[in-house]
Amino acid sequence: MVYRMKNYSRRDLNGWRYCSPFVLPGLILISVFVLFPMIFTLRIAFSNYQIVQGNISFVGFENFKAIFTESNREFWYAYRNNFLYAIVTVPFIVFGGMIFSYLINNLKRGGSIFKVGFYLPVITSWVIVSLVFKYMFNNSSRGLINYFLVDLIHVLPDYVPWLLREWPANAAIWLMGIWKNTGWSMLIYLAALQSIDNILYEAADLDGASTWQKFRLITMPSLKPTTFFVLVNMIIGSFNVFLQVMLLTSGAPNGKTSVLQYMLYDRAFGKFQFGQASAVGLISSITIVVLTLFMNKTFKLDNQEVN
Amino acid sequence: MKKVIVFLSISIIAISSVFATGAVEKDNGEVTLRFWYTYGEGEEAVLLDEVIPMWEEANPDIKIDCIRQDGSQYHQMIVTSFGTGNGPDVARIEITKTAAYANQGGLTAVSNYPEFDSLKDNFLEGPLSTNSFRGAYYGLPLDTNCKVAVVNTKILKDELNLYDVPTTMEEFFEKAKYRDTYSLNVSGFGDWDLYPYFWLFGGVLTNDGFTKARGYFNSPKSVDSVKTMIKLHDEGIFTIRDLDGSVDAWDGIESEYAMFFEGPWYNFSAKAEIGIVPALIPTFEGRSASVVGGENIAIFSTSKHQEAAWKFTQFMASYEVQNAMLKSGQLPVLKDMVTSPAVLENPIWSVYMEQLETAKARIPSPYTGDIETVWKNCMTSIFVEGADVQDQMDKAALELDAILSK
Repeated sequence: MVYRMKNYSRRDLNGWRYCSPFVLPGLILISVFVLFPMIFTLRIAFSNYQIVQGNISFVGFENFKAIFTESNREFWYAYRNNFLYAIVTVPFIVFGGMIFSYLINNLKRGGSIFKVGFYLPVITSWVIVSLVFKYMFNNSSRGLINYFLVDLIHVLPDYVPWLLREWPANAAIWLMGIWKNTGWSMLIYLAALQSIDNILYEAADLDGASTWQKFRLITMPSLKPTTFFVLVNMIIGSFNVFLQVMLLTSGAPNGKTSVLQYMLYDRAFGKFQFGQASAVGLISSITIVVLTLFMNKTFKLDNQEVN
Repeated sequence: MKKVIVFLSISIIAISSVFATGAVEKDNGEVTLRFWYTYGEGEEAVLLDEVIPMWEEANPDIKIDCIRQDGSQYHQMIVTSFGTGNGPDVARIEITKTAAYANQGGLTAVSNYPEFDSLKDNFLEGPLSTNSFRGAYYGLPLDTNCKVAVVNTKILKDELNLYDVPTTMEEFFEKAKYRDTYSLNVSGFGDWDLYPYFWLFGGVLTNDGFTKARGYFNSPKSVDSVKTMIKLHDEGIFTIRDLDGSVDAWDGIESEYAMFFEGPWYNFSAKAEIGIVPALIPTFEGRSASVVGGENIAIFSTSKHQEAAWKFTQFMASYEVQNAMLKSGQLPVLKDMVTSPAVLENPIWSVYMEQLETAKARIPSPYTGDIETVWKNCMTSIFVEGADVQDQMDKAALELDAILSK
C-alpha cells in the first residue's frame, strides 16, 4: 500500500514536471491579471481606498450603504437598466440571429454578401457606431429618426430630444445593442444550422411538411443547445454594457440611462470613489453569477451540452 | 527543467520591463523628467522647438521627456498613474482638477519650497488661486483663458441691422427677436457652457468663500437668471445645441448664428475674412461675465526627482517661456506680461485679457465632478423635463451644500 502511494506521488510529481511548462505561465498570468485584481477589488469594496498612498482602511458596508441610499437613485436606475437591456435586447438578438441565419442558409446565391452585411456591425468600432447613432438620434430635423417621424410620415408633432429623455435614450441604447450583436448570433446559428443532418429535411419533405413546420419541428429543436449558448452569452453581456452608454448619453438625464459598468467607471475615474466603484463591480459580478446559476438550473444547460 | 526556469525568468523580465516606472537617473547623474501635457500641435511645436532647447541649454544635466497625451482620456490616465506610480514627474493639468488631485495626495505642495513666497506675487491672483487647496499651493499657473464673444459681423449687419458689435445684450436681444432663427448658441448644460450666461443674467453660485449655496444658488436673482435663459430660448434667440439639436457653434457662426462664447483656441485669424471677430461679452443690466479656464503645472508626489521637477516647474512659469508660448495663443499668467505690448497690441489676446477682468472661476473644490453633476442635473431637469425652476434650484442648493461641507 505504502509502495503504491509512493509510486502514485512520484508519478504525480512527474506529471507536474511535464505539464508545468505549459500550465505555469498561464497560471501566473491569470493570478496576476485576474485573481489578484478580483481579490483586491473585493477588499476595496469594503474599504476607503486612497489611491496614491495605497492606504486601505476597512469601512464595512459603508460603500454599499452610500450607493443604495443616494438621493438621485443612480445605482437603482443603473441596476434596473441592466435588467431592462437584457429583457429587451436578448429576445431580438436570439430570434433575429436565428431567423436571419435560417434565411441566409437557405439562399441559393449571395449568402456571403448577407453574412458580411450582418457581421459588419459586430466588427465596427463602438466609437464610430456611437457617432452614427448620435447623428441618427439628433434632437432636430438633422437627425434621421426625427426627420422620418416628424417631417416624413408625420407621426410625431414635434422633434424629440431623444438622447436627453429617459426612455427614448434607453431605446437608442437598446437599438444599438440589438443592431451590433445580431450579426454575432446569426453567425453562431449559421454554424449550427450547417450541422443539422439534411436527411431530416428530406424525410419531412417526403411527409409533405411545410416550410414553417420544418422550421418549427426540425430546425428549432436542433438549435436548442445553440440557443442556450447565445442566451447565456447575451444575458451575461447585458451586464457588461458600457461603451454605448458612455458614448451616447453618459448616463443623462440625471443618471436615468446609467448602467452598472458606466457607474463603476464614473465613480472611480470621475469621483475618485474607488470603494463605491468596487462595490458596484462586486454587485455586478454577484448578479452575473446568480443569473448564470439560475439559467444553468432552469435550462439544464449542462445536460443540453452533453446531449 | 532548466528550460522551464529560463522561460519563467524571461517572462518575469519581460513583465517587469513593461511596468518599469518613474524618472530615469543615469550613472553620470543625468536626470530625465517625464512631462505630460495635452498641448495642440501649434503649442507643442513651440514647446519642442523653442522652450525645451532653452531649458536644455541652461540645464544640460536634466533632460525632459515630453509626452503629449490624448486630451479626452487625460484625466483617466492621471488617475491610473496615481495607482500604478507610472506617472509623470511634472504635468500640465486643468485648473479644475488641481484640488481633486491634491486631495488624493497626488501632487506636491509647491508652497513648501522657499522660493514660492517670492514667486507667487508675480502671478495673476485668479489663476494662482486655482492651485490653492487647504492652505497650500499644489502647482503654479501655466496659462489662462476665458470665454469672449465670437461675433459674425456680417450677420449682425445684414440680418440684425447692427453695424457695430453691441455693447449690451439688451440691444442684441431686441434685434435678434425679430429674426426667424437662433442668434446665440451654447453647446450643452455643462458648467463651462452655461456659467457665463448664468452669471451674466445675475445668477450667483455660492457665497464669496465658496462654503454655502443655499440662499445664493436658489436666490431670486439666480432663479431669474435661469428664467431669462428659458425666455430667450422660448423666443428663439438662444439655442442649446444638445437640447435643440441645432448646428454646432463653430459651424453655425459662419452662416447662422450671430454670436457664441468661446476660448482663445477659436481660430479668429482664419475667419477674419468672413467677418468673424472677437469681442467683449456684451453687458446685461450693466454687468459682463465670463468663466475662467486654463491650466496649471504641477509636480507629482510620486516623482523621484522633486528638486529637478520644481526647477522645471519654475522654468515653465518664467517670463521667457510664457513669452514664447504666447506665440501659440497660450495666454500668460504673469502680471508683467498682461500689460506688455505683445499682449495689448494683439487684437485677439487683448480682448481676452480685458474679459478676464470680469471672468469668474468655478467653485474651487476637490469635488468639482460632483458639483458639475449637480449643476447639469439641475439644468437638464429644467430645460429638458420642464421642471419648476425654483424647486430644482432649491434641491440643487441642498446638494451643493452637502458637497461643499465635505
